[in-house]
Amino acid sequence: MAETTVSVPSVAPFNPWKVVLLICVGCLALLFLAPTVGVLLSSIKTTREIAFGELWTIPGTIYWGNFIEVLTNPSVPQYFLNTIFVTLPATILSIILGVLAGYVFSKLPFAGSNLLFLVIISGMFFPPQVILIPLFQFFNSLGLIDTLWPIICVHTALGIPICTLLMRNFFATVPNALREAAILEGANEWQVLIRVALPLSLPAIAVLATLQFTWIWNDFLWPLIFTQSDEKRTIMVGIVNLKGQYSVAWGVQGALSLIASLPTLIVFLFFQRYFIKGMTMGAVKG
Amino acid sequence: MERSALYWRVVLLAAPVTVFAVLVIWPLFSSFFYSFTNWNGFNPEYDFVGLENFAKIGSDRLFIGAIINTTIWMVAAILLPTLLGLALALLLDSKVPGGPIFKTLFYLPICLSAVVVGQIWIWIYQADWGLLNTVIRAVSGSSFNYAWLAKPDTSLGSVIVAWSWQQTGLSMVIFLAGLTSIPNDLLEVCEIEGASTWQRIRIVLIPLLTPATVVVVALSVINSLKGFDILYIMTGGGPFHSSDTLAMHMYNESFKKYLMGYGSAISVVLFLIALTIIRIYFRNLKKVDEIYG
Repeated sequence: MAETTVSVPSVAPFNPWKVVLLICVGCLALLFLAPTVGVLLSSIKTTREIAFGELWTIPGTIYWGNFIEVLTNPSVPQYFLNTIFVTLPATILSIILGVLAGYVFSKLPFAGSNLLFLVIISGMFFPPQVILIPLFQFFNSLGLIDTLWPIICVHTALGIPICTLLMRNFFATVPNALREAAILEGANEWQVLIRVALPLSLPAIAVLATLQFTWIWNDFLWPLIFTQSDEKRTIMVGIVNLKGQYSVAWGVQGALSLIASLPTLIVFLFFQRYFIKGMTMGAVKG
Repeated sequence: MERSALYWRVVLLAAPVTVFAVLVIWPLFSSFFYSFTNWNGFNPEYDFVGLENFAKIGSDRLFIGAIINTTIWMVAAILLPTLLGLALALLLDSKVPGGPIFKTLFYLPICLSAVVVGQIWIWIYQADWGLLNTVIRAVSGSSFNYAWLAKPDTSLGSVIVAWSWQQTGLSMVIFLAGLTSIPNDLLEVCEIEGASTWQRIRIVLIPLLTPATVVVVALSVINSLKGFDILYIMTGGGPFHSSDTLAMHMYNESFKKYLMGYGSAISVVLFLIALTIIRIYFRNLKKVDEIYG
């Protein structure tokens, strides 16, 4: 093996090792996929079929009844709307705040700015339970429990650490000379940020938008704490509530899970590159 | 110039710092405050009880159980997603055909909600028609219908496996990022010197993956402290509190029994544990930086 690769061959010779590897990876991939395939299969089968142990077989005919049941349930569109009303503003606001803070930490550092930066980014490591009770009490005293406001506010605040971290690291790659040239021509910091740094940082914003959208859409804890009535539930809490209604209608539960995950699955498949980049950047540099 | 820089720092930092201070820092200190009271969550009046809540922790059988379960979860979190993620990264790094597709497959679970992951795995563990029992029945030929999530012996372990299934993809991409940062000439030297694949992995790759390993282990441990959603969905901490973690116990005491004062004390303990781990993490990260510059 050592001799064959010293001079780089133009056509790779047949390598049995590759086949073994492929089989290993293939088997693992099958194991890994099994759970997801199970949900897909359940959503196109009748409860009767599932109960008789036919969940894990490829169906002859597709049963659409589960999807019809989910899509005609009046609660589901409401859950979706609520989730959108929470996810979009919280995603946008947390990115804006992260851009502002990240710019100062990378281009206008000051005495103590490193410490402040460290305090902010350590926010992403703590379990949310640590601030659960005071936040509940705070929004309760404002009379905002059972509205979407507290969820939006909390997700905006909890998004600040990761947004600040990624934006700071990205702004650091924007050459200082660009900023100085703009300042010499009479621009102020705000104009530098909006017209020079931000247009160069669109990839970082795409990364954050994918990450934040997915996290907030999928979140369970905060809507569970802050909402009580069915009309205010977001989709993830909503489908848990509906489980009671469809307690043995497993196919309907599968269809519900699938429909609830559709937005994040689409975002993931289209923006996978950004997603992975964000996960590794946030993790490695943190 | 200097003056205007100060002006812009204040203007630009005002909004993010205010929001963060009001909704994260202040509640954190508030938790400390409530942990010394007997507040029930509704009554505006409450008394200071000193260290009573913390004294109660020591004699709370459920708390001790939660600490043990959280520790088990952490140890499993260090082993399962880390080793599996490393194995997958090494496999995918050796240029398997279809690598990007496999990478997507292994990574996909991370974009799913804990609610959905929990749902999926409830079905795998389902006693009568779940995948696990179906396979066991097919292999052993017996009529095996063990309810994995409903038995105290297996409930916690079953949830941890489900959780690891989701986390492995994250470990894998971090290891993959670490592997791509290893200089190619080093690997070429291995080939020239005639090192075997195993030697290459053991002597070159694993030591050079130390920074990635620190990150993966720390993230797994930190995420294990946050383990709540998937537990809530799959077992609710049961049966008989056999799968309660600290986060779960804190939720139950505060929002089921409305013992907000006691719940705050548990969250303070949770905070201190997280703080210790984060400090170790940052210290190691610094060391890693010193070694690898």
